[in-house]
Amino acid sequence: MQTDSYTETYKRLIRTRTKILFPLILITVISYFSFIWVIAFNPKFFGTLIVGTKISIGILLGFFLILLIFLITFTYVYLVNKKIEPLIKQIQKNV
Amino acid sequence: MYKLFFLLGVLFPSILMASTSEPKQNYMAIIMFILFVGVTLFITYWASKRTQTASGFYTAGGNITGLQNGLAISGDFMSAASFLGISGLVYLSGFDGLIYSIGFLIGWPIILLLIAEPLRNLGKYSFADVVSFRLEQKPIRILAACGSLSTVILYLIAQMVGAGKLIEILFGLPYYSAVTIVGTLMISYVTFGGMLATTWVQIIKAVLLLFGATIIAFLVLYQFQFNIDQFFSEAVNTHDKGESIMAPGGLISDPISAISLGLALMFGTAGLPHILMRFFTVSDAVEARKSVVYATGFIGYFYILTFIIGFGAIVLVSNNPEYLNNSGTLIGNNNMAAIHLSHAVGGDILLGFISAVAFATILAVVSGLTLAGASAISHDLYANVFLKGLSDEKKEMKISKIATISLGILAIFLGIIFEKQNVAFMVGLAFAIAATTNFPILLLSIYWKNLTTKGAVIGGSTGLILVILLVILGPVVWVDIFNNDEAIFYYKYPALFSMTVTFFGIWFFSIMDKSKSSIAEKKLFKGQYFRSQTGIGIEKSSNH
Repeated sequence: MQTDSYTETYKRLIRTRTKILFPLILITVISYFSFIWVIAFNPKFFGTLIVGTKISIGILLGFFLILLIFLITFTYVYLVNKKIEPLIKQIQKNV
Repeated sequence: MYKLFFLLGVLFPSILMASTSEPKQNYMAIIMFILFVGVTLFITYWASKRTQTASGFYTAGGNITGLQNGLAISGDFMSAASFLGISGLVYLSGFDGLIYSIGFLIGWPIILLLIAEPLRNLGKYSFADVVSFRLEQKPIRILAACGSLSTVILYLIAQMVGAGKLIEILFGLPYYSAVTIVGTLMISYVTFGGMLATTWVQIIKAVLLLFGATIIAFLVLYQFQFNIDQFFSEAVNTHDKGESIMAPGGLISDPISAISLGLALMFGTAGLPHILMRFFTVSDAVEARKSVVYATGFIGYFYILTFIIGFGAIVLVSNNPEYLNNSGTLIGNNNMAAIHLSHAVGGDILLGFISAVAFATILAVVSGLTLAGASAISHDLYANVFLKGLSDEKKEMKISKIATISLGILAIFLGIIFEKQNVAFMVGLAFAIAATTNFPILLLSIYWKNLTTKGAVIGGSTGLILVILLVILGPVVWVDIFNNDEAIFYYKYPALFSMTVTFFGIWFFSIMDKSKSSIAEKKLFKGQYFRSQTGIGIEKSSNH
């Protein structure tokens, strides 16, 4: 009986992790490669200055990307600690 | 006791060398340098008593906390090359520096999302532990050790050459003595203090560097009353290239190169052995996760600082004759932008501090590299291939120390040989190898049930050979170093091609593998995956 209870939890763990992982990986890959893509195909666009300043769109987006990268790692750890860690604890107890 | 004498024996000649160097010396720098060396050697002495066991030596006993490990990891990334190199690149061409910064940072979510926790849950001392978890030890360990050692040695050469040149300029020391001092100190840290000393040296340096870079950036922005727009306008007005420094320049010119460089940076980080090794120093997956968030935060913050520093140097250094040669270029080279800027905004005191920190940075980074290389030799090759896992711990420790000393001497030697060579490509090649060989075998061993020994070995080694060949035949080596007219392989960055070959090779030879052993390997996947996800079955590493 016990085995059943923890395989159920384990399955839930894998499902939850996939749900957390998939969008975050997608965001990481898409945001980075679109950044690189613009640099390769349309560098002038990144050179466009934001109206009224001498700051270019590329630099602003670059800074945002750095922030985004941090937020991705932060979100992941937050979600895993909240949703997956309890499941792991539960499995560890039952094994 | 003999250790203490040895360490003091390292300390005094270094001090002597530093203080008897040429007239252009900076006392603040020398005092800071001596202080740093003194403190770190003391830590090494303290650590030497705690690193008698293999777990102590390779993983600091697994007792490093998430925050400490985050600092140590960020320290590995905030090398002198990235501090001075990226700020120098920003100084030279503005925006392009950001492409590198972001490239180095983007690897971190990948490590966190895909690698960090399974790595901690499956491995003990090296990433080869994970790959060989259910595959055949011998061929896998040899492949992983080849991948690790080539990454580590390339990285080491780049760091040593950079170190020698930097110290030559900063302290007026001759190149040979600079390289020798770095090599000797690094050997002492690692041989006597193992991972514990290496980690603490890295932590101290990371804090010093973050502090120093923050001060420079603060003082720069202070001059503009923190008006970012005015700061950038001033830079645009000062720089020869004008407004084009705000846009991508010539770093990436075609889409293939863009993707190829992007792939190497994105996945290379997750295949760097000295980075991966750090995940075994924390107690469990929870701490491993935490350390990546800290590391990403520190590294991201640091890159923003280097960007401000690079632009600051455009405004405050590029038109100040004090820092220029007769030809109008920076004294030293572009990589000295941050150093000159520290003097421009903070005088001799800040210059001294930053110089000493740059030196500390080199020491800390090469120590981590050497330790990773030594563990590939002693743990993977010696203990698990040569002795088939039957070695006793004492013997393995002895070999790891011999390996450390040999690698250190090799690094000094190669540092001297490559003095006059352009070594900038070596870090890029190290990343390409890591992305092509180490990362795919690690990733697939964790997540792909059908991976077999044959697939991993054929795919991984083909990729490794291919990536080295493509770099040699490419523009960076074939044209720039061998002085041929035209490159045989057109692209500068090979990762797109070599990674494709590796993944295809691993996939193809794994699914074609119908041997008995491969069926057994596939059967082991379920248990391995369970352990990688839950951490059930891992040794509590503090039990030594």
